[in-house]
Order: sequence, then structure tokens, then C-alpha cells
Amino acid sequence: MGQNLSQNRPAVVIGGNRIPFARANGAYVGASNQDMMTAALDGLVARFGLQGQRIGAVASGAVLKHSRDFNLTREVVLGSALSPQTPAYDVQMACATGLETIGSLADKIKSGQIESGIGGGVDTVSDAPIAVSDDLRNVLLAAGRARSLKDRLAAFAKLRPRDLAPSAPGTDEPRTGLSMGEHQALTTQRWEITREAQDELAAASHQNLAAAYDRHFFDDLITPYRGLAKDNNMRADSTVAKLSKLKPAFGKSLGDQASMTAGNSTPLTDGASAVLLGSEEFAAEHDLPMLANFVDYELAAVDFVSGEEGLLMAPAYAVPRMLARQGLTLQDFDFYEIHEAFAGTVLSTLKAWEDPEFCKDKLGLDAPLGSIDRSKLNVNGSSLAAGHPFAATGGRIVATLAKMLHEKGSGRGLISVCAAGGQGIVAILEAR
Amino acid sequence: MQTVVLDKVPALGALYAQAALGATRRVRRVAPGSLPDVSAEAREVRISEESLIQYQRLLGDAVREEVPSVFLHGTVFPVALWLLARKDFPLPLLGMVHLSNHVRHLRPVRPSETLTLRAHARDLRVHRAGTQVDLISQVLVGEELVWEGRSVYLAKGVSLEGSSRPEAEPHPDFVPPATTGRWRLDATTGRRFAEVLGDFNPIHLSLVSAKLLGLKRPIAHGMYLAARALKSAAPHGVGYAWEIEFAVPVQLPGSVEFALTSATQSSVGPGTSDEEPGSVGFVGWDARKVRPHFAGSVVPLALAATVGAGTD
Repeated sequence: MGQNLSQNRPAVVIGGNRIPFARANGAYVGASNQDMMTAALDGLVARFGLQGQRIGAVASGAVLKHSRDFNLTREVVLGSALSPQTPAYDVQMACATGLETIGSLADKIKSGQIESGIGGGVDTVSDAPIAVSDDLRNVLLAAGRARSLKDRLAAFAKLRPRDLAPSAPGTDEPRTGLSMGEHQALTTQRWEITREAQDELAAASHQNLAAAYDRHFFDDLITPYRGLAKDNNMRADSTVAKLSKLKPAFGKSLGDQASMTAGNSTPLTDGASAVLLGSEEFAAEHDLPMLANFVDYELAAVDFVSGEEGLLMAPAYAVPRMLARQGLTLQDFDFYEIHEAFAGTVLSTLKAWEDPEFCKDKLGLDAPLGSIDRSKLNVNGSSLAAGHPFAATGGRIVATLAKMLHEKGSGRGLISVCAAGGQGIVAILEAR
Repeated sequence: MQTVVLDKVPALGALYAQAALGATRRVRRVAPGSLPDVSAEAREVRISEESLIQYQRLLGDAVREEVPSVFLHGTVFPVALWLLARKDFPLPLLGMVHLSNHVRHLRPVRPSETLTLRAHARDLRVHRAGTQVDLISQVLVGEELVWEGRSVYLAKGVSLEGSSRPEAEPHPDFVPPATTGRWRLDATTGRRFAEVLGDFNPIHLSLVSAKLLGLKRPIAHGMYLAARALKSAAPHGVGYAWEIEFAVPVQLPGSVEFALTSATQSSVGPGTSDEEPGSVGFVGWDARKVRPHFAGSVVPLALAATVGAGTD
């Protein structure tokens, strides 16, 4: 403590914008990552009157990315209303991408490197890249290197019919071969999370998100896109009774212990989000609102390959480190935004923080972090209802939480996002 | 023991063809002490960089300045197989069942090193289902032994003169550990692995070739399973000992449930009794039928303990 960045000048969340999130292969078929990120960014620029302005930096990214999108964010900026003199860079940290862009920009603002920044992310499953197989790729590369027709033919002679099968991206972890859902099913069982508890969390997510739309909470956070004005995964009439009828989708080998369904897991989703950050001076000079300070953030990763820890449990390790640095306890928050990759992820994380053995053995703490007031959890809905376009989720959460804190006028919010590869990212926002 | 120095590492395809020709003679009984007193040796052997890259790509691992242990096994295997394909080798090569491997990988081997490969067979002994034999393979750099493996093979239904077969011991109930991985193996898995290391045993290649040898479907190479397990379990930059014991074969295409465990938890196979720091156990099984495919362990060798580690 004492060395932390929060002693520098604050980085302020000014506002956010996203397009509604759409279930994959539905409303946004045909829209590319660049299309959607441009829509989210242009909406943000319009909302805050940034046309023609040079922003300190724009950072975004996508988890599923075409090779042609090597400079995705810069291309988006060039196609936007921002000044072409605005630098931009891509980040790729699986589902932590969005929050990492915002965290890194906040650090640049705090240290005085830049006055303003826009962070966010985008993903489309509907327009996912499909690549040729490695064998075909190797043949094509060898043919490209060949200096004579004979060598070229020799390269193509190695081609076999099976090499022509395309290769599509999946959600399997490369080192384990287990999908994210299968990994979470192991963790859900390890923490003895019941089907009912998961369905309750899912129903609450839908009801909370619907209520937030009803009171026009998202009016200044969302720009309609392609005929969609709301997240189309949302089921306002979702109930535990309805969710309890769904069959298990993951962990089927657990038999009647299987508890994870399509209802308490996030669907594959398309969407984009962007968040505007600035120094106090920047906000004042441009007469922009200041919703919240981006106080701190922390990354963590766990060894899931050996089975020592669950794939999506890294935030459970990141939070106590960040709390210690900030001199806070888990109970010092007015809102908790825990990304609902699966209902089981949220509930396993909360249970781990309550568990004396886990907190002592794994986190090295004298006492458990303890329980949270569940009425403060994901109060305006989260990913189970809104959907989860991987890299876009961080921006959705930061913009939502900053607005909630500003409406309340005081207090703090905690963000937790799990990510593929056994990684996690967490952050603290403070009202202003 | 007489040492036969081979001009070059023999081609496995030719050896299998030779064995197939000899398969007309049916062996029912062998005499103890009938193993030829011969050791085979190949010198000045270099690793093919292209094969090594192909191997690591197939396993989804990074190409390093270290030759994987199973790749070294694949390099020395033709020399061992040359012994088995000799006319004076008493057991029939085709149809032999691979039971286990026990390897001491004494130090990291660089792909650029020039290798001497040696192999001999020993210890013909009775098994409840036939007669088993150890194939001892060695990899040397100059005079330094860097890798040594013992592969145990079973010739089913072949009696050992003067020995009666022991009763089959009841299998302990297999209780699978918590899954840490799942391998989806497509129908080309056997053929792809064969292309890299040259082991074109027909039981691995295709439905037709496997059926010709009496199998319902092709099965995965035991060494492919070992390679996948070691990719997760083996350390880098140090020597290590590892072993794997095979149970029910993995049919292709198919799925293997996999778990890394603490070494003492292996439910089939020997595991390691002493809990060396950094030692890891692994198990692969059929999730549907709840039957083990293989189990094994990896124990890093303390650098000081790598001298004089012989199996002879």
C-alpha cells in the first residue's frame, strides 16, 4: 500500500455506449466485428459530442478475430467520427479483454500520459472466422515459397482430401479439450451449487435487466442497432419454475448431479460496447459528466490444467489481492457486478469467499472474506439475461456500474470477470 | 551378447511386411532362454527436424530445443522391432499386445545431438494370458546414456515351457478421478501419428486394416496416448522417469476422459509409492463404460541421481 496508482490523479468514467446484445445467428447475421464496434463507438462519439476530436487512445479487441482484422480498433477509429489522429490498439485477453482495455487506459490517465481514452470490445459468433486446416495452410505456404512449377506441384501433391475440411473456432480449452461449460460443471459440483440456486440467479438476472429497461435505465447507455433496441436474449417473464424444466447442457456425465442448463449458462452472443474515460480536467473542459472514478484493477490466473483449480475461479484470487492493496473488505461495496458466465461461476466464487478452508489454504487469509449482501448483486441484470459477446462484456459492466454509482451519489462497486485460459480480471469503481 | 550394428535405422513398414509373411507359422509354445542373445545398434542417427515439428503440431505442443520422450521412443523403436522381426525371435510380432512402458529420460536431449540407438530383448516370462517379454531400448550421445526404456509386450495364448500360467487376479473396481481433460480422437488419429513416427501397424490405420487383424475398429497407438499424457505431465529442462500401463485399448474414433492426479492415486498401474516433489500421476478412461484405458506417472529426476540408472 502507499505505492498504488490511486494516489495519482483520478481516472473518471464519463459514460458508455453499446449496441443491444443479440443471440448468435439472429439479428446481427452479416454484421462484422468492425461494423458493430464502429456502431458502438459512433454512438458514444455522438452522445458526448466528440466528433473530430483527438482522443488520447482507443483500445478494444475481439476474442474471435479474423486475420484481416489485425488492426481492428485502428480501422474502427478511421471509420468513425473521431479525428484520424486518434491512436488505437487491440487487446486480446479472452473475456477479460474489455475490462483490460479500460483498466490500462485508466492507468494511462492516472499517470498523466493521456487526458482521455475509450475502451471496449466486440464479438460476433455469427460472423466467426473459419480457417483452412493446418495441413492445407502448410501446403499453400510451401507452394508460395516454391521457386519452380515442379516444386509447386510437389507441394500440392502432399494435399489429401481430409486437409480440405475447414477449421472453426470452438470454446474448448486447448490444453484440456474441455469446453468452458464442462469445466464449470466440475467447479459447480466441487462447490455443491444446487440447480435451484443457479436457476434463481438466472431468473433474477432476467427480471433485474427487464426492470432496468422498464425504468429507462439503459436509455443513455444503448444505441439501437439493426432493428434491435433491447438485448434479445432477455426473458422478462423468466421464472425459476420455467427454468427448472430445462434439461442439463453441461456435465451430463454427472448424471442426476448435472445442474447446468442453457437457462443458467450464457448463450453465444453478438455485440459491442465502448466506455469513455478522462481526467477531471478533460471532463470539465468538455463539460462532460463524471459518473465514477476507476479506482483500481487486478488480474489473476489459476492452474486449471492440472485440475488444481477451476477454470473460471481466477477472480476469487484477484479480489482479495486488490482489496488488500486498497485497504478494503469484501463488504465495503454498494454494488457487486459479477459477470455471469454461468450462474455456477458466480455462486462458486461467492461460496469460495465464504469458505474458511479455501480462504486460508488457497488465498492465505486468516479469516474468510465472508458473504455479500445478495440484494446488491447484479441489480440491473448481468450476462445470463443480457448475453455475453465475450470482449464486449467489460464495457457493458463498467458503463452500467458507473451510472448506478452516480445515481446513488456515493459508495463503491466491485467488478469481477472470469476468462478463458484460467484468467480473471476485477476492478473497483467509486461514485462521484 | 553379440552386437549387430545396423547400416541404418530400419524402416518399420518393411519390418511389418516381413512379420506379416512370417505370420503363417503359428506359435503355441516357447522355451525359456530362447531369446536370441543379440543386441541391435544403429549409430550416427540424427533427428529429423521436420518430423519433430510435425509431431509437436499433432500434439498441439510447442517445438522446443528438447526432444520429447515419446519421440525418442519412436526413434529407437525400429531398432527394437528389428529384433522382433528376426527369424530367431521366438514370439510372433504381429498381434503382440503392448502392456506397459517404463522410461528413464535422464537428461534433456537436443534435436541437434547425434544419437546411438540400442535395443535388446530379455526376461521371457509367464503371464496369465500368455508369455511376456521386455524390450530394452537405449539412446546414447557418445558414451552417455541419455534415455532408457523398457517396453513390456505380451504374446497372447503362447505358453512358456515349464511354467504354468497364474490365475487371473480380480480387477479392482475402477473409480475415476475428477476429470481434468477430454481428448476427442477422430478416425485419422492413428494414421496421422503413424505418418510422423513411421509406425504403420495396421491395427492403428483404418477400419479395413484393423478388421483384417481381427479388431472391430482401429485403435490408438499406445505411444500416442503416452505422448498426450506427457504433454500435460512431463517437466521441461530436467530429466524424469515415467511409466504407463495400458488397459482397454482406445478405439478410433473415440473420446478419452483424462485426469492428472497426484501420483499415488493411480487406480490402475503401479504409480509411484514415494512422493517425489513434482511427481504427477495420470489416468485415461472410457467415461461411458467407466473402464480404464491407461494409467501412469511422471517423476522428475534430481540431477545428481541421474548417474548409473540402468535397468540391466
